[in-house]
Amino acid sequence: MSWYRRLWLHPLGRVGLVMLGVVLVVAIFAPLLAPYDPYASARVTVDDIYARPTGAHLLGTDDAGKDVLSSLFYGARVSLIVGFSAATIALLIGGTVGIIAGYRGGKLGSGLMRITDFFLVVPELALQIVIVAIVGQSLRNIILVIGVLGWTTTARLVRSQTLTVRERKFVERARAIGAGDLPILIRHVLPQVLPLMLANTVLVISLAILSESTLAFLGLGDPTQISWGQMLNFAFSRGAVSAGAWWALVPPGLAIVWVVLGTTMVGNALEDMFNPRVGRHHLEKERGLRLRIDAPVPAANNIALSIRNLVVEFESESGPLTAVDGVSFDVANGQSVGLVGESGCGKTTTMLAALRLLPPGGSCPGGEVVFDGIDLTTLPEDELRELRWTRLAMVFQGAMNALNPVRTVGDQIVEAIRVHDNSQSRSAAMGRARELLELVGIGAGRADEFPHQFSGGMRQRAMIALALACEPEVIVADEPTTALDVMIQAQVMNLLVEIRRRMGMAMVLITHDLGVVAESCDRVVVMYGGVIAEQGTVDEVYSHPQHPYTRLLLEAIPDMDRPERALIAIPGAPPRLDELPPGCRFAPRCPQAFDRCHSERPGMSIIGPGHEASCFLLEESVRV
Amino acid sequence: MSEPVVIVKNATRSFPRHRTIGDILTRRPATEVKAVDGVSFTLSPGEVMAVVGESGCGKTTTANLVMGLLTPTSGEIEVDGLDLGGANRAALREARRRIQMVFQDPYESLNPRMTVYDIVAEPLRVHKATANRAEEKMRVEQSLEFAGLRPAARFGGLRPHELSGGMRQRVVIAGALVLEPAVLVADEPVSMLDVSIRAEILNLLGALATEKNIAVLMITHDLSTVAAYADRVAVMYLGRIVELGPTLDVMTDARHPYTQALLSVVPVPHPDRRRPRVILSGETPDPSRIPPGCRFHPRCPVAVAACESTDPADVQVSPGHTAACLLVTE
Repeated sequence: MSWYRRLWLHPLGRVGLVMLGVVLVVAIFAPLLAPYDPYASARVTVDDIYARPTGAHLLGTDDAGKDVLSSLFYGARVSLIVGFSAATIALLIGGTVGIIAGYRGGKLGSGLMRITDFFLVVPELALQIVIVAIVGQSLRNIILVIGVLGWTTTARLVRSQTLTVRERKFVERARAIGAGDLPILIRHVLPQVLPLMLANTVLVISLAILSESTLAFLGLGDPTQISWGQMLNFAFSRGAVSAGAWWALVPPGLAIVWVVLGTTMVGNALEDMFNPRVGRHHLEKERGLRLRIDAPVPAANNIALSIRNLVVEFESESGPLTAVDGVSFDVANGQSVGLVGESGCGKTTTMLAALRLLPPGGSCPGGEVVFDGIDLTTLPEDELRELRWTRLAMVFQGAMNALNPVRTVGDQIVEAIRVHDNSQSRSAAMGRARELLELVGIGAGRADEFPHQFSGGMRQRAMIALALACEPEVIVADEPTTALDVMIQAQVMNLLVEIRRRMGMAMVLITHDLGVVAESCDRVVVMYGGVIAEQGTVDEVYSHPQHPYTRLLLEAIPDMDRPERALIAIPGAPPRLDELPPGCRFAPRCPQAFDRCHSERPGMSIIGPGHEASCFLLEESVRV
Repeated sequence: MSEPVVIVKNATRSFPRHRTIGDILTRRPATEVKAVDGVSFTLSPGEVMAVVGESGCGKTTTANLVMGLLTPTSGEIEVDGLDLGGANRAALREARRRIQMVFQDPYESLNPRMTVYDIVAEPLRVHKATANRAEEKMRVEQSLEFAGLRPAARFGGLRPHELSGGMRQRVVIAGALVLEPAVLVADEPVSMLDVSIRAEILNLLGALATEKNIAVLMITHDLSTVAAYADRVAVMYLGRIVELGPTLDVMTDARHPYTQALLSVVPVPHPDRRRPRVILSGETPDPSRIPPGCRFHPRCPVAVAACESTDPADVQVSPGHTAACLLVTE
């Protein structure tokens, strides 16, 4: 969707656009709309001065006997001309300074930013007054002064955005290709910076209009031009207040508020659209609460976590998309289950839904998640919050970046302990934190250090310590070793496996690496396209894989015992949620697919105790 | 074998370490980080070589030296007949045409606002390498097709977000290929991709070497997948190549204890075949404080007393296979 359409659909944006549209129309057609020409000199009698609003003068007259409504319409022209012209100057200066400072960096960049900072702290209005008083009160001078002094916020904004874009890989790639600075700026940097500048433009315009009104009100406007500030200035200085002529004061004041409000709304709407900072993080708010009265809860005594027929949907423009479609598996007490598959197959979504941490737009219209006899999908939010972390902990992908950089690691563990159990004293909790850090191999002595003093592997261990803080019964680890070095991966996985065994925790390990699962899990659940392709004990599935997808995945990973074996790739990519195949989800990529696979969805075939797979090949062979 | 196109001779590269105010006040001397500390290897046209190691071992600095993005502190780096250490800016810019790069993250290394066609055509335009639009179109489409994006006309109009990770990496490769480089440096080319499609991208890089006679240098931490596709493997530790040899030799007959440890921690994809693993404790040490003697001895499971004082030289184990360890004999 184009940005202007999105702006129109944004509630604030639409109101703001309508408000500004009205002013624009009035300004352009002022000569046609205004009942009188305020610039024409007319014969004035005493009765015409500050005349009350009547049919002839809808908003009354001012001190010179001129029609207020007409002045108001003509005033819109000056305000908009000043606003747009001054904003253009400010943006040109600010944009150039910002881009150069951000892109070049170094001495030039910091020099430019010092100048910007200087202009930012100088009281703008005072400086404007002084300069205008010196250079003379013409409209052109006012525009120049406002423009030249109003570029600082733009410069800072553009610089920070340029800095971010400069670090991005595609800019680095362009540099590696051998592209010069100017082509990189034009082709790669500018398109990324412009949207934010657009949002900023609107705010700069509104500030410029406000500045012009202020200057005019203070008597520093162009005396030959009618602007809203000028109208206020004349009304105030020429006795409108003592004459009780509110109609000379209120309309220009309201007009200024109207325009500033309109631009601010459009600006905020644009900011909402372009600035991802405003967007909500996917872990902030939980959604997908579904009320059901009599949840039948299966009674199982050794099952730590049971996921039954779980369905997850995401809202989209074309209706709900099914990301997870009827997933069922159990995690026994103290058992570790590997959830594997390619990216986009629903592994993470399944576990996020199980803990009700789905991002906004995600919901869980079916299925149940049973933990200790409680159905988590219907549990009230505050009760669920108590379970989460204390009894069900999750280590997220890239979690090592989730530590608070300004607090010591020990403090953060203490906080995690005490949030859920405030009966513990601070010192007792600190003792426990030190124990945990010792347990994950960081050493108790480093509890007082900050995250930046830790390496990536140590931060990941610290996150594991944090997850273990309340001795959970189930721990969900989402790609806990991705982005770590091989040796550190081995260290962290070893640690997880050992601690899990020692503490008797159950674990769900989300990973795309079947090798890791073979070394650290008891059971494996292979997912594809939001459904389970195959599940069983690791021994069974690796020795006798039944689903073609499982077999191909096993062929795709290296085996150091057979280094000469060529790895295979699975051609194609997992299906997109809006283009799920009608039959078996894997059929389009399956080398063994036949007609039925493309039209019908296979059910689960039981292969052995706890080993099942969803493939027509199995049904056919069973029948024969 | 033909003349090598990349010759690295005893190259070093150090970076001055930033001094904090505390360092200056306490008159602590300025220190250096020796990211690359005496690396030598050659690479021939049509050959794929993998440089393997953990982060901080100097593999990325080595890649940047070969790319000409960094100049060596000492030693020689010659690429395609040009000495990168002594070359001027114009010559370096010209050399850049002959050395192209494939980046790690195909999601980040493509400008989201450009079409696939424009992305692949960009190197041609930057270097004004084609005479007219028709020639540009022909070369872009040839590159796309070689990279497996067929039909090229259809893919050319798409934008990166319409492509899967594997396809995006193909676009990156097509863009690197379009200038017909002599050398391609691939930094972790598949680490961001799903296991299931890694093989096809690695096969494509292999095809570049064999069919286009390009020398491919792969930088990776993954000895099991990426290195397996190389003709030769160099294992780096703290700025030095500790073992170098034909891939199969290194995989089946690793001599350096560090290589052996790296191989032992690769997960075995079968629960019945668990092997003894050598998990080294700690992390790669700080390259500003390289231990005396053998740089690996503090973490080495088999170190002897001599390792603390003697910096081992390369020992030839078999033709083309060397290891820098005192315990290795010919």
